Amino acid sequence: MSAKALEHGINAFVEQIDRPVASFFNSCVHCGMCADACLFYTETGDPKYTPIHKLEPMRKVWKQKFTFWGKLMYKLGLSKPVTEAELEEWEPLVYDSCTLCGRCSLVCPVGNDITYMIRKAREGMVAAGHAPDGLKGATIRAVEIGSPMGVTWKTVQAQIKHTQENTGLQIPVDQKGADYMVIMSSMEIVNFPEYLGSLARIFKEAGISWTICSDATEATNSGIQIGSSDIAAQLVQRIVDGAEKLGVKYVISPECGHAYTAIRWEGPNLIGRPYPFEVIHILELLDQLREQGRLRTEGTETARMSFHDPCQLVRRGGLVEQPRRLLKMVASNYVDMPDPGIWNWCCGGGGGVSANDRADALQLRVFSRKKSQLDTARVETLVTCCANCRIVLEDGLEHYQMAIPVVGLTETLAKHLVTTPQETAKTETEQGEG
Amino acid sequence: MSIHNDSEFKSALDQLPVAEQRKLAARFAQSVSPLCKDSRVAAAIEAGLQSVTGDDKLTPIYNAVRGVCVESYTECGHMADWANQAGHFVAEAAAACVMPEVALHGANPAWDAAMRARMARTCASIADGSGTETSEAKNQYHLLDEYLNA
Repeated sequence: MSAKALEHGINAFVEQIDRPVASFFNSCVHCGMCADACLFYTETGDPKYTPIHKLEPMRKVWKQKFTFWGKLMYKLGLSKPVTEAELEEWEPLVYDSCTLCGRCSLVCPVGNDITYMIRKAREGMVAAGHAPDGLKGATIRAVEIGSPMGVTWKTVQAQIKHTQENTGLQIPVDQKGADYMVIMSSMEIVNFPEYLGSLARIFKEAGISWTICSDATEATNSGIQIGSSDIAAQLVQRIVDGAEKLGVKYVISPECGHAYTAIRWEGPNLIGRPYPFEVIHILELLDQLREQGRLRTEGTETARMSFHDPCQLVRRGGLVEQPRRLLKMVASNYVDMPDPGIWNWCCGGGGGVSANDRADALQLRVFSRKKSQLDTARVETLVTCCANCRIVLEDGLEHYQMAIPVVGLTETLAKHLVTTPQETAKTETEQGEG
Repeated sequence: MSIHNDSEFKSALDQLPVAEQRKLAARFAQSVSPLCKDSRVAAAIEAGLQSVTGDDKLTPIYNAVRGVCVESYTECGHMADWANQAGHFVAEAAAACVMPEVALHGANPAWDAAMRARMARTCASIADGSGTETSEAKNQYHLLDEYLNA
């Protein structure tokens, strides 16, 4: 890496050190509580995984550029500048061993949002050229193709057709004036096409006016994960443009953790203006429909079921009770794992870790925490509402030889959906015509 | 043909005992088996066709084929390989044939295998660029008719 790249990285660190970051560095009391909250520390015992330690290069820049004693020591040559070697050493700490899960921020006794700082630190790392190849590739594809997994509109159309055939329902595309616009993660197109079919069936029954936008199907945001606000803004803008073009009132964020963070929480700041529509997570909408009596289910699952809380949706997104209320509609034997809700432990693959092959072994190692949670609660079926969590959980369960099925919450509800006879009749008619 | 749509299809499958649902699941998986070359998948389909029963026999076969399912998932942020993804859904269909009793919890193996087989066919059609025309559902109606009338 060139000296110029290093300079870019340092400058990016400086740009990212805003008032919150400066005050967080200033107020850290080095208590180490963030270590005990971090999956990567608790499961390995290695102190290098202490969350605040992962920020050391950025902390060094803050001290040298923004504090009196730091500036003085730097000028006197008593404090060395951040080097290329340091950034190289810290790259795996910032990207491989942090899922941006937010548990460290939750426990910090002085209220430091360490996750926010890691997110900022990634801006500096990527500017210096220090980001994992997997995340770089995903980000390039997101910008050039429109999907980090290379999903094109043609492939989305294929899955739409597949869904229409299997449900007998029309999937609305580019319907101007619809109330809701559905966006999806590529994972739902590639691995879990049943998500779209579940939505179609539930929305049909609830009388929801909805559409997909052919210009803006992708919900995920690699810019957030790699730490590039410019790219993150570009990806958010695509969704905003699509929603504005169709004039929808709501955009529905899918069963994906960081997509929700990107579009709901960071989006308006990234593009520099409020949205003319509301963003709602699919579970928020389903819970509203439940409350209004527009989502009705029949029958229950007899297996001992539990809910894995995706960090970005539950701890950082506030969707704690909605998934539980929904799941309890169809689970007669629901049980929470230890540390449920906002205290839940990450699956180990969020924040771009699962897109980073270098982190595979570490990801499986730290899954030991989830294994322990599952063992304690004697879970027989695990339900979640994030496609990435779902695959990371499957990986971990396979690694630890645990035969526990993992299913999505929306599809579980759709499986038990009460359908009106009219729908069945229409379905048969439509299929007969096809 | 007496089965014309999914409503009739599912209803007919639901009326069958689990052992027969497994056998049909294997036929649905077999129909798309050329899309996956893994021997563990072939073994699971064969076990379904041969009506292997008992969790002691099913569990090792199921665990092996679940391994293929997990290995062949396209992970978040990775470039999708649709041919590989077709294989993934074939493995899922095959897994449905040999899911141990203890893990079934009221699931219908034949319906699950049918849905996965259709997904496999869709992925294959994306992979080969042939468009989106698939007739797997009709093929499955035919297989069920054949089975019921045998």
